Amino acid sequence: MPYLGGEEAQRELRRALSNPHVQADPARYRGAVLRVIRLMAQGADVSGLFPEMVKAGAVPDVVQKKLVSFYVRAQAPRQPQLALLAVNSLRKDCAHPSPAVRGLALRTMCGLRMPGIQEYLQQPLVNGLRDKASYVRRAAVLGCAKMVKLQGDCEVDGALVNELYSLLRDQDPIVVVNCLRALEEILKKEGGVVINKPIAHHLLNRMPDLDQWGQSEVLTFLLRYKPRSEDELFDILNLLDGYLKSSSASVVMAATKLFLVLAREYPDVQADVLVRVKGPLLSACTSESRELCFTALCHVRQILRSLPGHFSSHYKKFFCSYSEPHYIKCQKMEVLCELVNDENVQQVLEELKSYCTDVSEELAQGAIFAVANIARTYTDQCVGILTELLGLQQEHITSAVVRAFRDLAWLCPQCTDAVCQALPGCEDTIQDSEGKQALVWLLGTHGEKIPNAPYVLEDFVENVKSETFPAVKMELLTALVRLFLARPAECQDMLGRLLYYCIEEEQDMAVRDRGLFYYRLLQSGVEEVKRVLCSPKSDPSLGLLGDQSKQPVNAWALDFNTLATVYGRERWALISAQQPVEPSYSCSPCADSRNTDTESPVSEGNKEVLEVQPDTHMSEENKELLKVHPDAGSLSLIPDVSLTAEQFEKTWLSLDTSCQLSLPWCGPVHADTIQTALRVVHIHTIAMSKTGAQPWKAYLSAQDDSGCLFLTELLLEAADAELQVSVKQNEAKPEALQCFISALRTVLEAVAGLES
Amino acid sequence: MIGGLFIYNHKGEVLISRVYRDDIGTANTLHCGDSESRCKTPILKQSSLEVTCNWKASGDPNPPGALSLPSKVCRVWRRNAVDAFRVNVIHARQQVRSPVTNIARTSFFHVKRSNIWLAAVTKQNVNAAMVFEFLYKMCDVMTAYFGKISEENIKNNFVLIYELLDEILDFGYPQNSETGALKTFITQQGIKSQTKEEQSQITSQVTGQIGWRREGIKYRRNELFLDVLESVNLLMSPQGQVLSAHVSGRVVMKSYLSGMPECKFGMNDKIVIEKQGKGTADETGKSGKQSIAIDDCTFHQCVRLSKFDSERSISFIPPDGEFELMRYRTTKDIILPFRVIPLVREVGRTKLEVKVVIKSNFKPSLLAQKIEVRIPTPLNTSGVQVICMKGKAKYKASENAIVWKIKRMAGMKESQISAEIELLPTNDKKKWARPPISMNFEVPFAPSGLKVRYLKVFEPKLNYSDHDVIKWVRYIGRSGIYETRC
Repeated sequence: MPYLGGEEAQRELRRALSNPHVQADPARYRGAVLRVIRLMAQGADVSGLFPEMVKAGAVPDVVQKKLVSFYVRAQAPRQPQLALLAVNSLRKDCAHPSPAVRGLALRTMCGLRMPGIQEYLQQPLVNGLRDKASYVRRAAVLGCAKMVKLQGDCEVDGALVNELYSLLRDQDPIVVVNCLRALEEILKKEGGVVINKPIAHHLLNRMPDLDQWGQSEVLTFLLRYKPRSEDELFDILNLLDGYLKSSSASVVMAATKLFLVLAREYPDVQADVLVRVKGPLLSACTSESRELCFTALCHVRQILRSLPGHFSSHYKKFFCSYSEPHYIKCQKMEVLCELVNDENVQQVLEELKSYCTDVSEELAQGAIFAVANIARTYTDQCVGILTELLGLQQEHITSAVVRAFRDLAWLCPQCTDAVCQALPGCEDTIQDSEGKQALVWLLGTHGEKIPNAPYVLEDFVENVKSETFPAVKMELLTALVRLFLARPAECQDMLGRLLYYCIEEEQDMAVRDRGLFYYRLLQSGVEEVKRVLCSPKSDPSLGLLGDQSKQPVNAWALDFNTLATVYGRERWALISAQQPVEPSYSCSPCADSRNTDTESPVSEGNKEVLEVQPDTHMSEENKELLKVHPDAGSLSLIPDVSLTAEQFEKTWLSLDTSCQLSLPWCGPVHADTIQTALRVVHIHTIAMSKTGAQPWKAYLSAQDDSGCLFLTELLLEAADAELQVSVKQNEAKPEALQCFISALRTVLEAVAGLES
Repeated sequence: MIGGLFIYNHKGEVLISRVYRDDIGTANTLHCGDSESRCKTPILKQSSLEVTCNWKASGDPNPPGALSLPSKVCRVWRRNAVDAFRVNVIHARQQVRSPVTNIARTSFFHVKRSNIWLAAVTKQNVNAAMVFEFLYKMCDVMTAYFGKISEENIKNNFVLIYELLDEILDFGYPQNSETGALKTFITQQGIKSQTKEEQSQITSQVTGQIGWRREGIKYRRNELFLDVLESVNLLMSPQGQVLSAHVSGRVVMKSYLSGMPECKFGMNDKIVIEKQGKGTADETGKSGKQSIAIDDCTFHQCVRLSKFDSERSISFIPPDGEFELMRYRTTKDIILPFRVIPLVREVGRTKLEVKVVIKSNFKPSLLAQKIEVRIPTPLNTSGVQVICMKGKAKYKASENAIVWKIKRMAGMKESQISAEIELLPTNDKKKWARPPISMNFEVPFAPSGLKVRYLKVFEPKLNYSDHDVIKWVRYIGRSGIYETRC
């Protein structure tokens, strides 16, 4: 590799940076600094240049200061001692005459992530909050949030909070919004920033001055305010009216949400709002910014769920054009399905029909299912279209159509005849499992209406040996027995052959058992078989169930303009459900700062981190570890849990996972180290794989003083850089769980830090 | 709130990465396994600021690529969300399913510009529209600073981009993002240190009541430029029936005006004209034709909405430099600059005859430019013979299309192309889906019919009047998605 070697490059740069001639020429000086940054960006180790770089930051040139700040922030955590050097010069910069420099210095200081920085931060921040330049105030306000986040466990300073609240009256709009954001983060534990009447009214008055991000966020904060009276409510709505037509889609959506939520008791106001945002939403839906268009379409679908006819007259806006990306086409098809009515059904179906032959198979099938969806209301036209598609003899199209037919025959019995007439001939084109199953089901259930049904099924029976999908074989058995009841003469022989094959030759157990079952059922007499198999052939009521009945607006008003709408409710529920103890994630920096605290002084020792704490003071030690979460109360794990491996296994299997998380991990796990470390905090090891085993597993248990059990599994897959942790709890105590997890996490992270 | 921002190239290499929040990429560990130093310690954990450039030395003449990644000194471990995005989205086989992707409980909002991916990452339940708008804004700002967003430009300007990212996002919250205002903070590599005057500007600009304009702007020549930029979208059936058509337009203003000017903008909006033209019946009849119905319009923050609602007048104090005054959409009475008449005939199983006529439908004195007609061909095309009356036509096998380019074309003209497409015989029974014929062009008028009637400037404090301001108006109509099915 033609690489010069980091050392040499560093030495050269050091020489350049400390050369008085270079320092005298601003352009050359900055060139040298720039080279350091480049090197750092490429991943080289330039930490050795720290003192020179800090010195380079003490020039009047703002651009150079920025570069240095960039360097310092990246390097400070590696060199906490030297970072103090930087702190000094940064503090000096905080009193610089130029506001740009003051602001930069504040931001840099708040960005240093090293232990003990808080004490140096406090004073400059307080000064920054009172600075005459708003640029500095903006940085200072968010700096407060960063500082509080850094210290994590300490009590929130009441004076600071008050200062921030008073800054809500600042002249500068961005300072106001930043204050809201900072307060929200600082007061997270108490439920965020309080929006009372004076604050709400103040914010309402400031709205016109804010930029689009500010407006959008303030509108979201205002959701928290509950107007006292009807008059006040309508005053607010009137004031905010203009934002429903803002040029920024995000402001429009935020305003819509606020309106819907505030007017939750006035359905007609809500309806009116939805009519008024129709225009802006439609223009977002047809805008060239595709991602925004996608977001808007998701929201349109949400609205349609409550007001099915809402966009009907604009149905043409939702026609897909050829060059649009896949995700927009899919959304548009869904929208089209929902806004069909008597007037536009013809055009919409024509349009959907043209998508059915799209090059993308996925899209084509989507379009077919969309038509099938409309068929529940407009049966005849849709069945006509679907039948026509069968004529193309395309594998994926025929398969999708037959599947659609099966569902239709079940939901709308009136179309059975039409479906049955269309079926002959399909069997040659269908290749996939789903399609075959659907076809076989139709032939079996409605065989008496399809003249050649037995012959088609006979082909299937002939080829059953080469059939790859067991599900098709099962379906074939059921269908043939059904058809046998309707047309015994034609089917008896092949049913015999099929049963023989299934029982004697089939490898798949499920198919064999199904075969045996039908064989024995047939032995008990035809009447009995009829009683078992001849269930109803359709169930229209299922369609009504499946149809989403009209949701009231209030059911989704709170989800509007959040990711829940974009992902879809079900998926969002899934995503958010995986985060049962979300706070423990956002608290991770506290755990980390704690981690670095203990770690830095003992860089060459290994286990001392945990062993310095005396074994006898267990409960205190726990608190020590757990004080990270002051709100969590005290969790004390009792030192001896008598849990045998069998008991553990039994309990483990009977419980659901209460929390799952993954921690970064590199290299193998040293079982002894972990075991020792965990014993210190009274987490006991039940079983553990050997060091180096792949995958590596361990089972741990612990019990707190109230008798609540915590069972844990650690799993490290081969070649995985993450340690999967799953915790189960025999009593639902979220707070205790959180404490336990943070304790566990701290220990594991400490061990991880020692080992790698 | 945004947890982090990443810029990838088309290979999925991270060009720029800026992490604002700890919850993003929790597995980010920067390891330093320096062989010289005694201990191996994991050092930077969840740094609030991370720097990475993955570009290699391959033929890049510029210094960023001059050194290749040293394997020994430092290695960045990032088996985390950032990589997950590469695997799941950039390298994914199938088409992008959604512009918002959730990987490991982290939402990735991504936007693609040429072959560069911009992704904003967050773990919070955020407002999707806002994140996308922010990304667009980010692209605008970058374009304003260094032109086209391309891999090379990003590599060459990486310091500037980090500087910008530092300024427009703080702790993951969008801050000031107006290009004009940003330019006072970020001098594009400008060597000059700030003068006293500029420093005071920074102070006054943000202490003033109007966030988008600073005080004390002076120009020797007061000038303003108005651009009416429209994109016309059409979907037409083979029979020539308009399935859907709309124009989305923007009025972009570049103002170089001194002081705090008060501007008033007038256009041929139907509602306004009807309000004013209540005089004689003759007048309304005449103006009725020329006025247009705007379906929906939105304005820049500086426009006083209350005045617009009550009097439908658009008055504002403009930001300095370029900004988007208004954005609108019309669907009625659109002048479709071109008609495409396709004729496709299948001659047997191995031949296809295509004839396409385009007709320009505007004043003969005007010239349309950059006309491009794209006629799709079946996948099993073996050869194409093209004859066209005007311009150049070529069959591009890689794009499965005949591309017909005409540099200029006057109004009320007609041009024709005919092509014989030979097909390979295939067993595939699949019918050719016949994608629509699409068109690109640029015309010097507004297809919606919008006209700027006046733009008046008043500056009460400084003594220049409306007449002293030099005003330029330009109309550009471009094709959006302009498709005719065949």
